[in-house]
Amino acid sequence: MKPIMAYIRRDEWSPYVAGILLGIVGVLAVWLSNSLLGASGAFETMAGMIGKALSPELFNNMYFNYIMPPEITSGVILLIGIFFGGMLGAATSGTLKWGKKDAANSDAQWKQIFGQQTWKRWAVAFVGAIILEYAAGIAGGCTSGLAISGGMLLAPAAFLFIAGMFASGIITAMIVYRKRY
Amino acid sequence: MSTSIVVIALFLGVFFGFALNKAGLTKYHKIVNVFRLTDLAVLKFMMTALIVSMSGLYLLRGLGLVTFPTIPATYIAGNVIGGLIFGVGMALSGFCPGTCAAGAGEGKLDYIVPGLFGFLVGAALYGLTYQYVFPAISAIANVGNVVIPDLWNLSPFLVVLFFTLMSLFLFYLIDRAGLHRTDRG
Repeated sequence: MKPIMAYIRRDEWSPYVAGILLGIVGVLAVWLSNSLLGASGAFETMAGMIGKALSPELFNNMYFNYIMPPEITSGVILLIGIFFGGMLGAATSGTLKWGKKDAANSDAQWKQIFGQQTWKRWAVAFVGAIILEYAAGIAGGCTSGLAISGGMLLAPAAFLFIAGMFASGIITAMIVYRKRY
Repeated sequence: MSTSIVVIALFLGVFFGFALNKAGLTKYHKIVNVFRLTDLAVLKFMMTALIVSMSGLYLLRGLGLVTFPTIPATYIAGNVIGGLIFGVGMALSGFCPGTCAAGAGEGKLDYIVPGLFGFLVGAALYGLTYQYVFPAISAIANVGNVVIPDLWNLSPFLVVLFFTLMSLFLFYLIDRAGLHRTDRG
């Protein structure tokens, strides 16, 4: 029992061990609730809810009325679970950032390459997040909802998505890191 | 939504987020370095998860214990173009929607504020422009909600076996033969 507890408390696991855990969760999603894991869809549902509260006319369209109607879906609950799962993981290794000095940007590599300014990290993260969510809409899902969930069912869409994601991810990293790539 | 669905979704989400944290995917450098090819842990994590889940699901289906939910639709242009745009966002931000939610739970402010808010803005933009973009792009080379074994008339067990052997060979190349770039910082 002791070595298991010690392993759980480690900050980082072997990617193979963590991957097995994610694989089991993927199987259980289908087995227990006939559903797939996902994350980007929940943001669309929530954007519809917030949008309808702020500007009912603008958000009164086909997409937010019928395709992603504004209601708490199991995807939203799943996303809340992911939030607490991340919290639990960091709590077991004592790496929670709540209230810590470096909570605004805790990545040493980022600071080494792009400098200490928080606004720079936040600006790039914000633009990146918008791009990610829009792209997930076009592709039909994100890394969890399409790459993992579609891949485990052997849907061609997942492998096409993964190929595109790695191709442009590598090129983007080359451009952003230039000589330090 | 019944209570059992809420409980199951929460349970799945917690273990999902926990796995993302322990795999290191809630860290900017971990995600970006897979694109720099200096640390391929993200790739190993994803492929291991796929091996386990595809084996488990096709085995359970073979035993008649599960039926598959709706298969994510394949429309070649949209899947690829979406993936291409997605990779740009992922290499810039160092997260994706799932890992950002998990990182937000850890208390990382760059995940909570620009991250979660950015996803909501992106989702709003997508929903507001959906009708001008999606119907056209999803009509190109649309093969529907299919899986590879049905599309190419192959035994699913052979496809899973092929994916597994290919992945294990890749793991061997990465871990034993040192197939990755060295970080020159």
